[in-house]
Amino acid sequence: MTRVLVIDDEAPIRLLCRVNLEAEGMEVLEAPDGPKGLEQARAAEPDVILLDVMMPGLDGWQVAEQLLEDDRTRSIPIVFLTARAEFRDRARGLDLGGIDYVTKPFNPLELAPLVEDMLKRVGRGERDELRGEKLAELRALMRDE
Amino acid sequence: MRRFFQGAIEAFRRRRAPAARATPSGPVARPEQTALLRAIETLGGELDLDRVLPELVDRLAELLRADTADFYVYGRSRQRLRCAVVHGLPGELVGFEVAADTTLAGEAIAAGRPVVATSPPVPHPAYESLAGAIVAPLVGAEGASGVLGVGRRHGEFTAEDADFLGAFASLAELAIRNAETFAERSRQERVQRGFYRIASVLGQPLSLAATLDAIAQAATEALGGSSAAVLMPRAGVLELVGSHELPEDLTRALGDGLPDSAKALATAAAARRILAASSVADDDRFEPEWRALAARAGAASLLAAPVESPRQGSGGLVLVFFAERRELTDDDLELAIHLADATGGALERSELFEAERTSRALAQQLARTGSLLATELDPAAVLDEVVQQAPALLGAEACTVRLLAGDELVVQSGAGPGTDAALAARSPSTGRLLGDIVQSRAPIAIDDVDVDNRYAAADPVLAEGYRAFLGVPLIGPERTVHGVLSVYSLQPRAWLPEEIDALSALATNTSAALSNAELYQSVALEKERSFAILANIADGIVAVDRQGQVVLWNAAAELITGIPQAEALGRTPLQVLGRTLESEGDSPGGDRLLAIQRGGEDAWLSITEAIMRDPAGVVSGRIFAFRDISADRFVEQMKSDFVSTVSHELRTPLTSIYGFAETLLRQDVQFGDQERETFLRYIASEAERLTGIVDALLNVARLDTGDLHVNISPVDVRPVVSEVVSSADDGGANGHRFVVDLPTEPLRAEADPDKLRQIVAQLVDNAVKYSPDGGTVTIAARRKSETVEFSVVDEGMGIPQAEQQRIFRKFYRADSPTDREERSGTGLGLFIAQGLVTAMGGRIWVESAEGSGASFAFELPAARARL
Repeated sequence: MTRVLVIDDEAPIRLLCRVNLEAEGMEVLEAPDGPKGLEQARAAEPDVILLDVMMPGLDGWQVAEQLLEDDRTRSIPIVFLTARAEFRDRARGLDLGGIDYVTKPFNPLELAPLVEDMLKRVGRGERDELRGEKLAELRALMRDE
Repeated sequence: MRRFFQGAIEAFRRRRAPAARATPSGPVARPEQTALLRAIETLGGELDLDRVLPELVDRLAELLRADTADFYVYGRSRQRLRCAVVHGLPGELVGFEVAADTTLAGEAIAAGRPVVATSPPVPHPAYESLAGAIVAPLVGAEGASGVLGVGRRHGEFTAEDADFLGAFASLAELAIRNAETFAERSRQERVQRGFYRIASVLGQPLSLAATLDAIAQAATEALGGSSAAVLMPRAGVLELVGSHELPEDLTRALGDGLPDSAKALATAAAARRILAASSVADDDRFEPEWRALAARAGAASLLAAPVESPRQGSGGLVLVFFAERRELTDDDLELAIHLADATGGALERSELFEAERTSRALAQQLARTGSLLATELDPAAVLDEVVQQAPALLGAEACTVRLLAGDELVVQSGAGPGTDAALAARSPSTGRLLGDIVQSRAPIAIDDVDVDNRYAAADPVLAEGYRAFLGVPLIGPERTVHGVLSVYSLQPRAWLPEEIDALSALATNTSAALSNAELYQSVALEKERSFAILANIADGIVAVDRQGQVVLWNAAAELITGIPQAEALGRTPLQVLGRTLESEGDSPGGDRLLAIQRGGEDAWLSITEAIMRDPAGVVSGRIFAFRDISADRFVEQMKSDFVSTVSHELRTPLTSIYGFAETLLRQDVQFGDQERETFLRYIASEAERLTGIVDALLNVARLDTGDLHVNISPVDVRPVVSEVVSSADDGGANGHRFVVDLPTEPLRAEADPDKLRQIVAQLVDNAVKYSPDGGTVTIAARRKSETVEFSVVDEGMGIPQAEQQRIFRKFYRADSPTDREERSGTGLGLFIAQGLVTAMGGRIWVESAEGSGASFAFELPAARARL
């Protein structure tokens, strides 16, 4: 069973993710802030982490950095959940080592397919290709802008 | 001369010796001979005719034991005898004349030897008492020249006495001739000396005045006069220009020019004729006034010789006066002519010298003036300097400078009597005199303005009593006339060419100096203006020279960079600012953005650059103009952050609303009622949150446009405060403890309850947000004398002093506890809160120290007591 850790300070968002991911048969863990998220990630070793960026205290970027620095959590794919629409914010996430990003507001029904698809490709060892595709996609968007 | 006499005496001795031996009266004759010889010796030693003659008759009377003795001069041409000296006879006899062919004297001349007479004829009553007389002629190489006579009142003369007188007369003739010769030689010597003097005057570069005095002295000496004067024409009048021993009366009379009573002299000068007056007192060519003057001054005779003046058209005169009546001979006249010629030469020489000296003096004066003017940079001072210098230069009394203003000449500056009144006087540039100078662009010199009364009308300064005028045009650059420089003299005077040249040169100097000064003034003004502009301009202006060193660093540059001018000058911007200001390459583009360090912070400059090039095209300097856009950038950044933040703030509730709606719409999952309710409640609350955000934005817009409306009424604030706090407490403010401190009595303020709620909510929200580690939040409301004061105190991170002024600004958001953490919120809360407090007539403030919490407070007017 796919285990997803949702780190977000907004309770409704966490609930939204939980309801919709569980509906697709995934196990969902929640953390309301960065430190608790790191703790959970290390303890529960989730398959995927959905990480909010704008959180009081430790923000999403810092959490991602710490996850990627830690041997126990380095391999866990991170998908950023961000309300910040600017390209630079999206790019920053990918630069940090995130695999994908989801811009708020999002359709919660699309979360599960995104996670499944990503896990499949990462499982095939296409983790870097996936990031590259996303970066290229972003660059194309930035060029069009 | 003495040897000649000795010879004559020896001859006489030889001649008398045989006679003495032949006569028995030898012993008698011997003392007579001795006496005669002694007398002759005495006479032979005397060279002054005036003393020879009295001596002659005295000795003669003594030798011949005569009662009387006399000597008459024979005027051959007039055939008359004139008494020259007497002994034993009345002195009045001197000057008495008698015809040469009468009396005993005539007989003696005719006989050519002494004549003895008893009861001689009496030509004058003085001779009446004589009993005997002898008269002997004085015979020289040219015949008789006079007669010597002796008389006895008692007794007669012998033939021997006659022989003796004859011998004496021969010797006397020699003595007189000798004295005359000497006198003549003396006269010639005097004349020669006169010529020598003139020659030496000619040879010396004497000044004109010295030359004229020397000529007067030479004339006096050459002609044996008592005094002399030199008169030269000046402005139509013969003016006294030189003199020697001239009596006071004559000096005074000639001081104002030759008087009309001596018009004959002027006529003679004009006609270049010599005028000789042996007896001025009864010369009817002169008016009685002049004759009386001459008598008073002791001038019995005068001789006037014309002198050519080298410069003037008309001639001058040398006047020689004689104290005693003088028969003026042809020799005298000839000498006078030579004298006049020599005088002309001397004058010419002197005038040349004088002209050269004047020119040199003028040139020196001009050079001094020129250097003075060259250093003068104030146009008014230039003019003042010129009007002072010009009269000094030319020995005139006044000066004006007129400058052209349109078609008028306006007196700009003046010096000398009467010029003050003429200041600012205007005259047409096409008028007489001054206008003529402008139109002809040439000097105009008038020796005497009285010759035409229109001159005085043309120039008001002339009307002040000036007689001579010299005006030259002021010719500026491009050869345009821009004024007239005039000098005025109280006396008529002939303006010399070098004087006119000098004034013209001064005018040229003046024009140049004026141009310089005006140029300098305009440059100085421009510079002053530039400095004023640079000093007051809000943009920083920095100029660097060829070496890239700062030469200009204005006040705004000091302000913007925080670096004082003194520290910047002479160094490069790189040294001063730690970075270069120059653009890459040679052609700067438009505005560039540049960050510099100012007091440890980045300051953003919008900079433009101008490159200065020398004529060869090489960069000779750069000017940078920059503006501090840090504040603009700050606002820009805040706006950008705001948009981003608002976007975030809107997206968060939208995510929930959209997400839960989509979730509820899922057909594949069946949610329980409780779940559905939870979803729907989230949708509702997030929608409300969204509305709040939109309201806040609207409030900002209203505050910006002044459209915010408040409905003020007396409100008990306690329930409003409690409500907000309880809502915050419910809202899951983790780890915060709320303390509400309210009075038990109603606390009424003049307020809009909705707005009050909004304010308190914002402050509480902030208190929670900026005390992330929890702690106590104390909310209080208190009645003050006229107000109700609210306070929200937290134990959070506090606000640095520097930030406290800015927190109420629009878009301002406090930095998060750590730099890397994202800030949240729209940055509008406190801005809106302040706007609302103000709209209700209150004020809001903060007290805080960094790290030890913040205390926000605001006050509203207390509700007026109800009756």
